[in-house]
Amino acid sequence: MKQWLTNFLTHRRDLVQSLIVLAILFTFAVIFSPRTRGEYTYNLFGLSCTVEHWPIFLKIENLTDLLRANSPVAIIALGMTFVILTGGIDLSVGSTIALSAVVCATLLVEQQTSMATAMIASMVAGGLVGLVNGGLIALLRIQPFIITLATMIGIRGLARLVVNNEQIGLVGGQSDSAIHFAHIMSQKSVVIGAFLLLAIAFGLLLWGTVLGRYVRAMGDNARAAQYAGLPTRRVLAAVYTLTGLLAGVAGVFTCARTNNGNPNEGIAAELSVIAVVVIGGTSLAGGRGSVTGTVIGALVIAILTNILGLNNVDANVQSMIMALVIILAVVAQTISLGAVTRWWRQWRGSTTN
Amino acid sequence: MNAPRPGHGYDEVMTPSGQPLLTARGVSKHFGGVVALDDVSLDVFGGEVHALMGENGAGKSTLGKVLAGALPPTAARLTIDGKPVSIRNPLDAQRLGVTIIFQELDLFAHLSIAENIAIGNLRYQERFAVSYRAMAQFARPALSRVGLSELSPHTPVHSLSVAQQQLVAIARALSMNARVIVFDESTSALTDEAVERLFAVIDQLRRDGVACLYVTHKMDEVFRICDRITVLRDGRYVGTRPAKQTDMAELVRMMIGHDVRSDAHAAACATDRPLLSINNLRTAGLRDVSLQVAAGEVVGLAGLVGAGRGEVGRALFGLDPILGGQMTLKGQPYRPHTPRQAMKRGVALLPRDRKAEGLMMQMSVRENASIAVLDSLNNLGWIRRRREAQQTDHVGRQTRLKAAAPQAVVSSLSGGNQQKVLIGRWLLREADLYFLDDPTRGVDIGAKEDIYAIIEDLARRGKAVLMVSSELPELLRCCDRVVVLNEGRVAADFDARRTTQEQVLTHATSAAAGHARPQAG
Repeated sequence: MKQWLTNFLTHRRDLVQSLIVLAILFTFAVIFSPRTRGEYTYNLFGLSCTVEHWPIFLKIENLTDLLRANSPVAIIALGMTFVILTGGIDLSVGSTIALSAVVCATLLVEQQTSMATAMIASMVAGGLVGLVNGGLIALLRIQPFIITLATMIGIRGLARLVVNNEQIGLVGGQSDSAIHFAHIMSQKSVVIGAFLLLAIAFGLLLWGTVLGRYVRAMGDNARAAQYAGLPTRRVLAAVYTLTGLLAGVAGVFTCARTNNGNPNEGIAAELSVIAVVVIGGTSLAGGRGSVTGTVIGALVIAILTNILGLNNVDANVQSMIMALVIILAVVAQTISLGAVTRWWRQWRGSTTN
Repeated sequence: MNAPRPGHGYDEVMTPSGQPLLTARGVSKHFGGVVALDDVSLDVFGGEVHALMGENGAGKSTLGKVLAGALPPTAARLTIDGKPVSIRNPLDAQRLGVTIIFQELDLFAHLSIAENIAIGNLRYQERFAVSYRAMAQFARPALSRVGLSELSPHTPVHSLSVAQQQLVAIARALSMNARVIVFDESTSALTDEAVERLFAVIDQLRRDGVACLYVTHKMDEVFRICDRITVLRDGRYVGTRPAKQTDMAELVRMMIGHDVRSDAHAAACATDRPLLSINNLRTAGLRDVSLQVAAGEVVGLAGLVGAGRGEVGRALFGLDPILGGQMTLKGQPYRPHTPRQAMKRGVALLPRDRKAEGLMMQMSVRENASIAVLDSLNNLGWIRRRREAQQTDHVGRQTRLKAAAPQAVVSSLSGGNQQKVLIGRWLLREADLYFLDDPTRGVDIGAKEDIYAIIEDLARRGKAVLMVSSELPELLRCCDRVVVLNEGRVAADFDARRTTQEQVLTHATSAAAGHARPQAG
């Protein structure tokens, strides 16, 4: 155990640093959270206890709420971690959320299909967008930024075209499956459960599989990966397809939670996704990063948005604070712990003299 | 121990007198738990060329980098002109007149020579916009000091040869009034001709009173241009000798503790089964190349830089499109389009530039070694970790790899050990044809012998080996045959045991390379 801990502290310093940021933020959230007026009864796994003036932030309903609200972005961030690890970027995920959401709503409401059909079709639509991205990047050898910038614009257009610039509401129509879908797929246990399962799956994919190893190798040194005979094109295609698929999943959850197939959904979502990945310690240069880090990054963003909301901070001020946190989180990763202790010793030395 | 070198016994011993320009005491450098330098001391005098020698991981490059501020030391007491100084980053070093010329040059490839030289001094210009004329004027004196005055200062650096780029780097150092210049394995990428030119420049620097610290593995160079030699071993100081009072045998003993055999030959395992035959091959860098390699045969490719030695490997590995001619591998037509296809047909390429083309520097030793065989360790997408560990550990022992742990990041290894990891990658792959592009580049004597042993072992196991080397003695020592290339054509094909360096050099440098292929003896 001690061996494992020292190994973790020395070899996964990036994760340790993200965890420190998360812990600090969590503490701040608890301290600055408004309190409940009366008593609050905790009900956790059958155990219940009643407390007074409990921080609203720590209420179970609030914690699960913040997880659900941020799940779509967090889910896409899992795939984006792989894309960024290869040294690429995917700007089209926001548009893909919209495409998936409108496909899902159209099928449910207008085609009266079953819930399963609509969901699978939406995810396939997302996966296809990813396949187009990955295929073009691999075959044409054009920078991912440019290809996905183009698909970002194009897919947004496609999503609007599918629904003629209109929004499709799930409730109010005659479709029972649509109402059923909106009810089930917006439940906290379903959304948070899906995120946790996907996080574990993608963590294992990166840690234990050949694909994961290839992804890291290509991001570390693309030329060496080619010289080592890696199937670089297939890896690129796989990584972007997976990310597109996850954007499709996120679109399904967004559709269910908003009761709406909105073609303007997910505008600028790609930037939140990238922010989550970067806060999680994944380097935009490729080759360095982890799924665990991305999960931590998602929690950082989720907690921050939540605590600012609980305190009724102005939305524009929220954005400005978010910007600060992104920069601080990334700076915290670049400072080595050794440098901090050295600085501390120097500072102490200079004050005692 | 101090037996004088033949022919130099009567020379006056040149011991520098007066105050050293730079002194270093108690220099230590730790990388995590690894001690790269342990309490090393060094004096460098103005106007001397001081060699820093040592084995793989002895710490000679580390010491050079510490002195030039490229690596912050864990502990060090430095003085310049007798005054204590602190060098913690390249800017400190630059202000004190200490510069390093890296093995992998740190120039801006897409900027011009003048821009590269003036880049640190742009801020001294008075106007807001840079003046290209002023930059050229600033660059010219430094360029003429390194013998590049015939080049226009506006030439972009990427269009220069490696040798010229190195001289530009030196010119930049001179323009910043460098008084101590560290040369880190400077000749490892140079042709013999370019080495001569570099030595002439170094000689001039010495006469100008500049202190040159010359980090190298090459014995002959040390005795040619260096005044004093300091040897490090395992990060510790072993000793300093005036070049004229020592000899190769003593230095080798100081570096590795035992003698190395120098008159060995290839194992001669060549069979009569042809494995690869290339007929009239033409690519962007090859005009007309025909050669055969049999199973168990080691064939050396000699020639000047640009003669097409590496291009043969690029064609074989599917990196350069084939414009004409045929190749036959194991009796089958062979025309790869990607490295992956080549690899699947049983061809392995050890690239020339191991950092840019070979290793994933942030990944571990084990991950680097196994990356090309993951398809055979693939169990429904999962990596068979235990088998991966067994195989990579085995190949690590086979190559006598010295690494802190299989999980250690490969960038923490010395050059020789990095090369062994890369060789291990292709040993695991069990290819039939190995193309080794300068396998001992930037590698010291001890690791070199290990690599020779690996090549010999490959031949014994019936593999075909094509090998490029910039050092002729190495080709003659390792190969059964030496094929000399000249301007993209085969100029000669020699039996390595019965040829001399002079013969090979003549065919490599003669201007009119005919199609004649003398089977000379």
